[in-house]
Amino acid sequence: MILRGLATPTAILLGCLGTVGPMQAGLPDWSGQWENVGATPDATGGFNQSLDQVLRTLQWGPPNKPEVQERVDRIVAMERKRLEAVARGEDPGGAVRACTFGYPALMLDSPLMFEVLPTPKETTLIFSSREIRHVYTDGRQHTPKDELWATPWGDSIGHWEGQTLVIDTIAVKSPFASSESGGVAVLAFGDVEGEQTIAILSSQAHFIERIRMLDKNHLEDRMTVIDATSLTAPWRISRTYERVAHVHRMVYEDCEGEERNPIVDGHFTLAPPPSPAGSRE
Amino acid sequence: MKEQMTRLLNCAVIAIAVMLTASSLLAHHSFAMFDQSKSVELRGTVKSFRWSNPHVFIQLLVRNEGSDDEEWSIEMTSPEHLARVGWKPGTLKPGDKVTLIIHPMRAGVKGGQYLSGTGTDGPLIGSPQPSQGEGK
Repeated sequence: MILRGLATPTAILLGCLGTVGPMQAGLPDWSGQWENVGATPDATGGFNQSLDQVLRTLQWGPPNKPEVQERVDRIVAMERKRLEAVARGEDPGGAVRACTFGYPALMLDSPLMFEVLPTPKETTLIFSSREIRHVYTDGRQHTPKDELWATPWGDSIGHWEGQTLVIDTIAVKSPFASSESGGVAVLAFGDVEGEQTIAILSSQAHFIERIRMLDKNHLEDRMTVIDATSLTAPWRISRTYERVAHVHRMVYEDCEGEERNPIVDGHFTLAPPPSPAGSRE
Repeated sequence: MKEQMTRLLNCAVIAIAVMLTASSLLAHHSFAMFDQSKSVELRGTVKSFRWSNPHVFIQLLVRNEGSDDEEWSIEMTSPEHLARVGWKPGTLKPGDKVTLIIHPMRAGVKGGQYLSGTGTDGPLIGSPQPSQGEGK
């Protein structure tokens, strides 16, 4: 009995010292790999769901200011032309090599799996693109203004409300900002008819997330985006992530690896990887 | 037919998604260089299964009557995506007899985008079961 009585405070103490796992510290166990419901790839590179299911799941409707909507429309028109060029097998131009999705696309729309590692002082989200979100839960404030600059992953702090992780993120700069967007194009989606959804957010955007476990195989992220520069009202959006079924360890993407579709004379070609060393082909 | 249309749409979705979220990824991840309006059946022998980032390839030897084998390069998605649906580096081995359904390259190159496949033991991972049929 005495030992049992000591167990809980001991675990809390050790948890505070960062010497035990999250379960012992009273934090939830979110171990394993997670994938965004609705953006689960299949073997072809498409999705396991129909187009309707994908678009319905990936709800999208930022309350854009009129001037922002005009910019979105311009981007849509531009991208439609690019798509037409690609569909002809032609190089649409303008491509550069980089593989960063950045926040909030990582949470909202990326097809990448990720792990969540809650510890008493920090929760870390690790994505298969090898991008990492550090969410500090040790009570600190955001990075002081004179030390802060915008990055693709932003500056995040958080705290626990029971089993819910509340994350506050600022200073986000999309890796996809173009001259047309003039800001942050956090997501784009669309279908063959060119129905596309894009969000342009300013670097003043403020993101608040509430992440919790719905059941043993599902996490939920409820996100509120506040951006007085781009939006007429707070934009509320949620995502559900499910446990990856077939893998039990992280498998990394490396889209900066060898070029598989080089453009030759203005047209895409194929360049398979070389034969494995020692193979008997 | 419905299945094919779904695949077509899905490929378009991801192509656009990738373009818009990351034009930088276009060259790596767009499948638009493949003719999405055509599906071709290839019967052959696996020369190698090249499990590699950013995309996996099946090198397939296709026998043509009266001529030498033709080597086709069939592009799949990334190892990360394939692993999540159950594929492994050893799923296909040299010598395996397979029938693959692909979208061919537009430029007439002997290559294409993997859609589905059947091996001697039945449909490959993620491929429709025979009863689901694709009008092959």
